[in-house]
Amino acid sequence: MTVERIDAAQAREHLEMVDRILAESHPRLCAGGEFFLLWGLASAYITVLFHLVDIGMFAARALWSVPIVLAACALYSLVRARSLNRTIARTSLVQREFFNVLWLTLGVTFIANVAAFRIFSGIAQAALWSVAEAIVLLYIGMHGNRRAQIAGVLVVVSLVAANFVAPDRTAYVLAAGMLVGYAGFGVSELLAAE
Amino acid sequence: MDELLLSKVRLGVVAELLNYDWVAFSELARALDVSHGNLGAHLSKLVDAEYVEEEKSFVNRRPLTRYRLTKKGRDAFAAHVSQLASLLKAAT
Repeated sequence: MTVERIDAAQAREHLEMVDRILAESHPRLCAGGEFFLLWGLASAYITVLFHLVDIGMFAARALWSVPIVLAACALYSLVRARSLNRTIARTSLVQREFFNVLWLTLGVTFIANVAAFRIFSGIAQAALWSVAEAIVLLYIGMHGNRRAQIAGVLVVVSLVAANFVAPDRTAYVLAAGMLVGYAGFGVSELLAAE
Repeated sequence: MDELLLSKVRLGVVAELLNYDWVAFSELARALDVSHGNLGAHLSKLVDAEYVEEEKSFVNRRPLTRYRLTKKGRDAFAAHVSQLASLLKAAT
């Protein structure tokens, strides 16, 4: 095929079509509200539970619910993500990058929690999850989601506030950040999707 | 100039796929406003040329066919658009 097969008018028409398609192509970062709701609730529950066990309000055997909750959340997330991936009509490159950031952030946090437990002991483990949640939310916010920006800031504020309140309230403040910021963002996404 | 991308439909398909990982067949037909038969023929050529990758699966017992741009397709698109722009510039 040679250049002569297409003239300047056709070239202009083709370029205009490409420009129009690319201008209309605004890949929305579909975060999946249910994941945030689920993990926000789970992380807040675990944070408060550890605190209640720590102060003796609950027996240590209550901590057995933690791996059960985590396994249930992980299983649901895997099944739901697989189902969403198959049914979604368009999966953007931004979306794929988001999942990479999500898994990397949560993966590193999980390893820090499990393998670096001497460094991140006690409430520091919950604070680590707050940091991870703030990174994920602010990453979504960077792609134009105002609700995620606000939610991310709320989690960061809860982290700073938790540092300054009385030690027996630190867990509650962190959990509130997880609930309002992370789970709250999930609820807002679900409502916006309807 | 790339022969495959001289077709407006095929160029449109590649442009539609540019910012996406996977796009369903029905979504491409809707976005480009072409018939399924016409789109299918154009997509076959792009798949044969390895510009586009095809994935066939079943969702709720219904077939789902999705497409994504390969590196070869992405490079060809960039070169083709650049040549179109050069042609236009030379003509004006």
